Amino acid sequence: MNKRNWSSAAKVIIIAIVLSLAGCGQSGDGKVKLDFMWFSDGGEGEVMKEIIEKYEKQNPDVDINLVEIAFKDVKTKLKTMIAGGKPPALVRINDTYEFADYAIDLTDYVGDQEKFISQFEDSIKPFYVIDGKIIAAPMDITANGMYYNKDLFKKAGVKVPQTPEEIWTWDEFTAALKKVKEKGDARYPMVWDSSGHRWSTMMYEYGGSLFNEDLTKAAVNGPASVKALTDFKKMHKEGLIPDSVWLGGENPNNLFRSGTVAVHLAGNWMMGSYKDITHFSWGVTYLPKDETRSSVPGGKYVMGLKNTGVEKETAKFIQYLSTKEVNAEYIEKSLFLSARKDNKDLNYPLDDHMFDVFTDEFKHTTPQAAKDWSYQQVMNKNAGDLTTGIAKALKGESTPQEALDEVAEIFDGTIEQNNKQP
Amino acid sequence: MVVEKSKAMPMPIKKTNVQTMKKAQRKKKMAPYLFVLPNLLIFLIFIIIPALMGLVYSFTSYNGVSDMKFTGLENYIRLFNNAEFWKIMLNTLIYAALVVPLVFAISLGIAMLMIKEMKARGLFRAIIFWPTMISFIIVGLSWKWIFGDSFGVITYLLEAGGLPPIKWLSDPVIAKITIVIATVWARVGFFMVIFIAGLQSIPASYYEAAQIDGASRSQLFWKITLPLLKPTSLLVFMLLIVESVKAYPLIFSLTGGGPAKETTLIVQYIFEFGFTKSEVGYASAMSVVLFLLIGAFTLIQFKWAEGGKID
Repeated sequence: MNKRNWSSAAKVIIIAIVLSLAGCGQSGDGKVKLDFMWFSDGGEGEVMKEIIEKYEKQNPDVDINLVEIAFKDVKTKLKTMIAGGKPPALVRINDTYEFADYAIDLTDYVGDQEKFISQFEDSIKPFYVIDGKIIAAPMDITANGMYYNKDLFKKAGVKVPQTPEEIWTWDEFTAALKKVKEKGDARYPMVWDSSGHRWSTMMYEYGGSLFNEDLTKAAVNGPASVKALTDFKKMHKEGLIPDSVWLGGENPNNLFRSGTVAVHLAGNWMMGSYKDITHFSWGVTYLPKDETRSSVPGGKYVMGLKNTGVEKETAKFIQYLSTKEVNAEYIEKSLFLSARKDNKDLNYPLDDHMFDVFTDEFKHTTPQAAKDWSYQQVMNKNAGDLTTGIAKALKGESTPQEALDEVAEIFDGTIEQNNKQP
Repeated sequence: MVVEKSKAMPMPIKKTNVQTMKKAQRKKKMAPYLFVLPNLLIFLIFIIIPALMGLVYSFTSYNGVSDMKFTGLENYIRLFNNAEFWKIMLNTLIYAALVVPLVFAISLGIAMLMIKEMKARGLFRAIIFWPTMISFIIVGLSWKWIFGDSFGVITYLLEAGGLPPIKWLSDPVIAKITIVIATVWARVGFFMVIFIAGLQSIPASYYEAAQIDGASRSQLFWKITLPLLKPTSLLVFMLLIVESVKAYPLIFSLTGGGPAKETTLIVQYIFEFGFTKSEVGYASAMSVVLFLLIGAFTLIQFKWAEGGKID
């Protein structure tokens, strides 16, 4: 290597060092820099950018940098950053529990804790209030529900429930699906997200649950849950649901988008993605019921992290995001459901009725569903094992009872492990 | 230049001369280490130290963030009692047992065709090598479009021809074959290149002499090509075994490890425990077992092939 090469190499190294130093702490212009780790399901990243821009105009001393990463990388990346001693100031997250120890306790900033909490839906409280600390602020809530292809149902001459009074039972629903398959030319009557969370919708409607009431033991192998899985398997066997989603890893969103699938059981977050479908018309209808009606609640939160040196500014921004007006803007434009109780009547750019259906599903969710899925100490780890267990039953490797017994054993194992090491 | 030379020329004092010589010797001795240093540093920082840390983690209960807690052999005991782990291990071994001989044979076969004089040889070589340049994830996704159970290209063609669709990805047995097909397609090109290099180093005179003696084609292959190719074969074998035991991105993007863990291989399983379930200690114990396994394989092969010496 000659002298010139050496000096240019040295230059590159110096520039790299300078750039990496510039990435942290206060930026040169005296502004407080906040890194905001973000993932998007649909277009909400763009909405958040608009909100940040507005906030920066009002607070010229703050510079918020939205770092967008894939949803599946959030936990890994955050863990690495915390372990490396350089956590981001903020993060959008749905599995809050694991990071509770590293989160800013917002109680110190919001004033009255009770008053702050009372603004949001009660069922999601265990997700963001942990050990009496407010470790995050809720942004939106989610509910599972059903999308349907209006054209296919029309062709088959099957009427879809429009009001809570007309809700199908599971038997009526499967009969309707069979009809759509025969007369409506639906290639597949239904697709169902390959996720234990989405499957549990049916389980709660059948009266089952994942855990007992005080969350000390798994109950997922109870008779109601087993019956739900048996019927779920039957729907696959009868050709109402294709094997390719749960066993072959095919993306149900793409299948529904193709216009050849009559129903998609997913969550309200798919609205943002489906809104650009133009080659058929689609809608949202009520989930069928069995013993009871139910959906499964969930939500996304904004968490501020400790040891960043900018905690005060972070907490202030989180409070700003939680206000009624800002939350309303975010929710409306992203086509979400608000976590705030007072943001239920919003003006969405899409058919309002669909949002009403999801809100109604959320309201008619059994409390146990919220309890089960907010039991993050177990579900963070073992949600995938539930999905695998269901797939095992579908594949015929084990009976529904055996499959769920195995899942229960895994749940109990984690509970026991957690008890040993609190 | 001339001035410099005249300055350096007279070296009257003996002592200085010895010193320079020693210095020069020292420099010569240092040089190789300096050349190795950059790679050594990278190897040390990114491979050796993490590997040692993994060994330490494997004796602890650690979630990746909180404090570690020493638990002795608990992770290993749990591992040996975990039936699922052994099932996944078996998946991995079956996969390797299919991939290694298939890729070996096919790439050797193609390499032997590709060293013959023929039209557009470069083009054929390029086409076969092409998949090597595509990232594993893209390969997996492409095959997913082809094999997709509901909307795959093959399913479409079969249905258009009035045939029943095949459950490429959702039938446990067929899915295992599917991932092998995709891997073979993706890797044959790379090993073909290595074999071509090996084949070209065999002197043509050997073949000519054998042909004059009346050797048949199969005799040429078994008596000349294969024995003289031994160093290359050993290299390919070792690379293939390590690679197939560690396979992950291609299969993950093709089947996601499904149906119900049937195509989940060991690295994906380790990743699940380490990052999804945050059991870094337990996952580290698994990777230590994997490391020992790969090490043992390599050692056996190396001994068996006597380091690739040609008899």
